[in-house]
Amino acid sequence: MGNKMTGPAAANIAAAGPPRQKTHIPNHPQRKPQPTSWLGRAWQGSGPGYMFLLPWFIGFFGLTLGPAIVSLYLSFTDFDLLRAPNWVGMANYVRIATSDPKFAASMGVTLFFVLFSVPLKLAFALGVAVVLNRGIRGLPVYRAVFYLPSLLGTSVAIAVLWRQLFASDGLVNSILAEFGIEGPSWISHPSYSIWTLIILSIWQFGSPMIIFLAGLRQIPGDMYEAASLDGASKWRQFFKITLPLLTPVIFFNAVVQTIDAFKAFTPAFIISGGTGGPINSTLFYTLYLYQEAFGFFRMGYASALAWVLVVIIALFTAFSFLTARFWVHYDD
Amino acid sequence: MTSLAIFSKDDSISPRRSRFVSLLFHTLLMVVSIIMLYPLLWMLSASIRPEAEIFSSTSLLPSAIDLSSYWKGWTGLRVEFGQFFWNSLVISVLSVAGNVIACSLAAYAFARLKFAGRNFWFAIMLGTLMIPYHVTLIPQYVLFLKLGWVDTILPLVVPKFLAVDAFFIFLMVQFFRGIPRELDEAARMDGCSAWRIYWKIMLPLSTPVLATAAIFSFLWTWDDFFGPLIYLNDMNNYTVQLGLRSFVDSSGSSQWGGLFAMSTLSLVPVFFFFLFFQRLLIEGIATTGLKR
Repeated sequence: MGNKMTGPAAANIAAAGPPRQKTHIPNHPQRKPQPTSWLGRAWQGSGPGYMFLLPWFIGFFGLTLGPAIVSLYLSFTDFDLLRAPNWVGMANYVRIATSDPKFAASMGVTLFFVLFSVPLKLAFALGVAVVLNRGIRGLPVYRAVFYLPSLLGTSVAIAVLWRQLFASDGLVNSILAEFGIEGPSWISHPSYSIWTLIILSIWQFGSPMIIFLAGLRQIPGDMYEAASLDGASKWRQFFKITLPLLTPVIFFNAVVQTIDAFKAFTPAFIISGGTGGPINSTLFYTLYLYQEAFGFFRMGYASALAWVLVVIIALFTAFSFLTARFWVHYDD
Repeated sequence: MTSLAIFSKDDSISPRRSRFVSLLFHTLLMVVSIIMLYPLLWMLSASIRPEAEIFSSTSLLPSAIDLSSYWKGWTGLRVEFGQFFWNSLVISVLSVAGNVIACSLAAYAFARLKFAGRNFWFAIMLGTLMIPYHVTLIPQYVLFLKLGWVDTILPLVVPKFLAVDAFFIFLMVQFFRGIPRELDEAARMDGCSAWRIYWKIMLPLSTPVLATAAIFSFLWTWDDFFGPLIYLNDMNNYTVQLGLRSFVDSSGSSQWGGLFAMSTLSLVPVFFFFLFFQRLLIEGIATTGLKR
């Protein structure tokens, strides 16, 4: 509630009781003499607040806002870490838009990854959550088992494991061989490699599943009872009750997972050995950005790539919020 | 098969049928569980079996227990893995301290203190949650390079003491607001300073959220790959994640045993948190939508 106390709310509070720690405290036992200067009074009101925020302010100006502005500036230069940056105007952005095949490739790979991994992961998460939510015995055990991969999934160890699983002589092919199927070399084949990463992402469906479970628990049971009495089938109940009431949670999960998928880096880096290969088929956008910035030290260009990523993520998010009006069901 | 029964605590169908349905779902869930866990268990078993056997077997049970992979992995690079574990531990512990201290200070100011522009700064703080780190990456790198901090742990740790992980501030603000105001009002009436209220009242009452923040910052830092990849060059400074990556590069596929052994070891701390703090982790995700 604290945050809402401005404007009218602050006025209410002022009417209700003595205002706290504003510029002066009339009805309050004063321990220190009231400072008379304007600055002294301002300090007594706001000083402690700013003192507590000091570390955050240093971080915000020094490590977030400042660098963001500098990065915007660098994106219009040819900065390469060694020499002072030269202003090149829109050249970086023009190159991104018109003549950078690697940009196009990496954007394509990333969009493909987002468009397949996010819906599949969410579908899995929702399906399993719905099954678990029917009051099944052993729920904590299943939930723990499904959650574990989400917790481990981003570490290098798992990427290393994945690299082995889908290698030509890896575990997946050994299992396939027992059924007499000869599998390809998944990670070194340009049309399959991206799918190993999508599967890795689906494997981590546990955390959206937990959010779905929490959402499902919010749906009042009597709605289902009423629907059963009216003779609605389970299937119909799912589509008419569960799904609509869950749309806010689905929306939340979709936005979070999409942003996360755009930022994926480690698995692609490890599985492709940092190259994004074969034939750029796992060249995630962030991996390309890393290569440009820290492989070739084209830091001006990489800054432009970063801002393009921001714009794309912002557009995606804005688009989700715009379409949300048409499918997200808010009760109140 | 699923269409009828999925969503029910059902009275309309017969007990026999409902028992059948329940059995069906348990079978289904178990199959999914096995598929999910199989790779992990297989990696564990690959790390403790004779190396020659790793690729000849899809079974989870090794024919003999052979821990030599752990020794080979531990000493497989020119710097021992013990050094990497130590480095990771130092960075992670310092990051936890930084996040808990700096974020709780900021959160206390936002949740309880009155100061000019509070709502404005709160909105700005929420706004920083939306900014992908890529935007600040390069200027930050240049800054740390100029400070001479590259190839030290400072770029990985100092930002945490400046509350750069705004998510934890948000988490703590939510929690602090739930603490009854009467407590700090009363303390203030008695002449308690803001600092003492923070230290003697807010923090002791907030152990659940502080623990959640501590656990997640430990896990995120332990698993972080990108930060160390950029800032640490000398192998003596490597974290576990970087060590594993060098292992992959240097050994190709010739040393899978050692690689799996070290990979398994690198997951042990994460698994430990999973075992002992599962409730906090799951609540953290369910109530705030924390990722992972």
